[in-house]
Amino acid sequence: MDLPADIDWNGYSLVERDWRWRRVRDNAAKAGFDCTFVPLCVDGRNLHLSLEQARGTRSDCRFLTQLDNAAIILPTDGRAPIVVSDQDFGNDWLPEIRPMDNSWGESMARALIDAGMQRARIGVSGIRRGFYTHGRAFHGVVNHSSYAEVLRRLPNATFENATEVIGHARYIKSAEQIACLRRGAAIAAAGIDKMIELARPGMDEGQLYTRVMQSMVSLGSEYYPMAFYSGLHGGGRLPRFEDPAEGRTLQSGYRIANEVDAVFGGLIAQEQQPIYLGAIPDAWKPAIDLQREMYYAGLEHLIPGRPFAEFMDLINGFGEKRGMKSQLLMHGRGYGDDGPLFTPQNRGGRNRDVLIEKDCVFIVKPIAHSADGSFDTSWGGCVLVTDKGGEPLVKRTPGMVSIT
Amino acid sequence: MPWTTPPGAGATVHIWNGYSLAERDRRWRAVRENAAKAGFGCILVPLGNGIDGRYMTQLRCSAMVLPADGRTPIVIADRRSSNAWVPEPWQTGREWAEPMAEALLDLGMERARIGVAGLSGGAVTHCSAIDGVVNHGALQRVMGRVPNACFEDATDVIGLVRYAKSDEEIALARESAQVASAGLDELIKRARPGVDAGVLYADVLARMLELGSEYFPLTLTIDSIDAAKPKRYTNPPLGRRLEPNALITNEINAVRGAQLTQVCQPILLGQIPEGWKTVVALQRDIYEAGLAMIKPGVTFGALADYIDGFGANRAMKTIMQMHGCGYGDDGPLFGARAGAGRARDLPIKKGNVFVWRPLAMSDDQMVQFSWGGPVLVTEHGAEALFKREHGMVAIA
Repeated sequence: MDLPADIDWNGYSLVERDWRWRRVRDNAAKAGFDCTFVPLCVDGRNLHLSLEQARGTRSDCRFLTQLDNAAIILPTDGRAPIVVSDQDFGNDWLPEIRPMDNSWGESMARALIDAGMQRARIGVSGIRRGFYTHGRAFHGVVNHSSYAEVLRRLPNATFENATEVIGHARYIKSAEQIACLRRGAAIAAAGIDKMIELARPGMDEGQLYTRVMQSMVSLGSEYYPMAFYSGLHGGGRLPRFEDPAEGRTLQSGYRIANEVDAVFGGLIAQEQQPIYLGAIPDAWKPAIDLQREMYYAGLEHLIPGRPFAEFMDLINGFGEKRGMKSQLLMHGRGYGDDGPLFTPQNRGGRNRDVLIEKDCVFIVKPIAHSADGSFDTSWGGCVLVTDKGGEPLVKRTPGMVSIT
Repeated sequence: MPWTTPPGAGATVHIWNGYSLAERDRRWRAVRENAAKAGFGCILVPLGNGIDGRYMTQLRCSAMVLPADGRTPIVIADRRSSNAWVPEPWQTGREWAEPMAEALLDLGMERARIGVAGLSGGAVTHCSAIDGVVNHGALQRVMGRVPNACFEDATDVIGLVRYAKSDEEIALARESAQVASAGLDELIKRARPGVDAGVLYADVLARMLELGSEYFPLTLTIDSIDAAKPKRYTNPPLGRRLEPNALITNEINAVRGAQLTQVCQPILLGQIPEGWKTVVALQRDIYEAGLAMIKPGVTFGALADYIDGFGANRAMKTIMQMHGCGYGDDGPLFGARAGAGRARDLPIKKGNVFVWRPLAMSDDQMVQFSWGGPVLVTEHGAEALFKREHGMVAIA
């Protein structure tokens, strides 16, 4: 793989910018909004409910501007957006940005007024959770004080939820985005290779964590914490770490589970690989085989135009025919907190009617349980929806790696 | 009614939580005292204010209602998390507004004056978040459920407790400073012409992680020494090898025991031009002079006036550049872009820990130099928590 110095990538093109803005404007027009407003959102260090949510808080801003922090007013009628930011400089997409002055609330209100939105119907993205984005953020991602100030200063405007206006634009990926996700998936796979190379009984877990992260960052990924679980089987749920753990050493008979993420072009790719430090017990093998078959069957059913209901039922019922249990675990990939979200916790029921579409990218990692329920396993990676079904973005083989 | 673990709660995420119960009681007592002085019935740390939440609970994610009258607080957490400080928090999943509202009602705050931490930027915490850090959807719902209460900003109620560090915190700030310094050493060791800047970035980060730092972005500015707008990176640079005469300015951040510290020292891959030497010398002098002036009781306004006026005698410019160390976004924040007017009258206190890195510039501002790291305020003055030789590192 290319090292960072040899990577020729300078951000998304102006064509990509226009494609994104046009999609958002089209969605806003269909919904009858005069503009789409991305207000100041809470920062991820403070709203850190999960890694996805931390990254997802300001994701609409990054999608529309390639800036880390900004508020955006995108008029539906095709006029140029007004972007307010506390950053020093704009970028190729937005050479001119309006500096945040005095307070975000005041600056955003002034920008809305300058755009002629005093009496407009304003679509606000991120005000509450969506189907395609911000699915985990039950209370949305918007900063309180600045937004309250905007409402106060524009009493005659109507503010309504428009999370799906941007969400659906983010749901389907362009060729440029798919290329970035492909590279990200390859970097994440390289991180997994590093883990397999180093994980041995006696290895310090903090060192292992560090080396895996180092390998991915040195291939050009932004730093995105790996979720690392380890421990003996049968002792309940494995503890999860998102920083290098201190004072923990891998032991023979340990299970390792992980979510290995790499970020390229701002998009989060994820690959997942269970590992066992020992010979895999025979009792686990049927569930591991089930998981593999379920994953491949799932790829065949990721067909554009179909609602998720069919896919959910296929996966959730897959184990039953073999006397085992299976559960769908998957969600969208992109700038952070991408949906739709299917987890054992939420079962994804609200997403049954959402359509699978061409050029969506998901992390697909269904869970298989043994017949007696004492063992479960999940393996997965990034999958692109094509006309022919799901295509893994990086070639790997489902299963559990045994290190003896 | 306590909220209990919802079905299918996510896996517990383990984080460092090593402060003692005595430290917990010190923090809670001091916050209660500040709240009582300000006339609040309780302090609410709402969803969105994760940094104060961690300071008050040592939990990765939490919301909290702390009554000012000494009663036990109600803490809300997720993913089955708990610790020695908070053995039995209320548990939630993704729903935070309802338990926050119920906690306020359970504690009798229906008509109280409720101090909300993080509603706006404070004098010494949440300094870069002018409009605060609170989640709108959640707070709006809480206010709707407790309509007769009065919600007001109380950022400084917690902020002024975070401002002065305990012995436990200072010990960890020292460790953190050592880790940051080791990161800087790694940068100096590896930075050479031809080196892949992205790999260098990864190596420096890895050095600090292996020494036990939590992740915090490393900032490198890499460009030719005479570049007008040098390029700044908070992620591994792409398409970039270090070239001769490259100037690498840096902010090397480390976190131990939740204490974020920073060291910085510019590195030049070449000979230091004569024009820079006078600016570097001026920076050394303001660094030392400022350090000598930092004592308990001195106001930040007095210190800023002294530093900002220091360069004029030498026909150069100087600016006070500093910020607090701690759980994150600590202040007061002074710099080229931030004047920290709110903190001008605030006196320096024993137990403060700051990153002290004043900025010296040539008169035309084309040459700018900053060097420094964390310093602790003791009763006798300032003590640097890092040991480095002043100046620009030149790698020929």
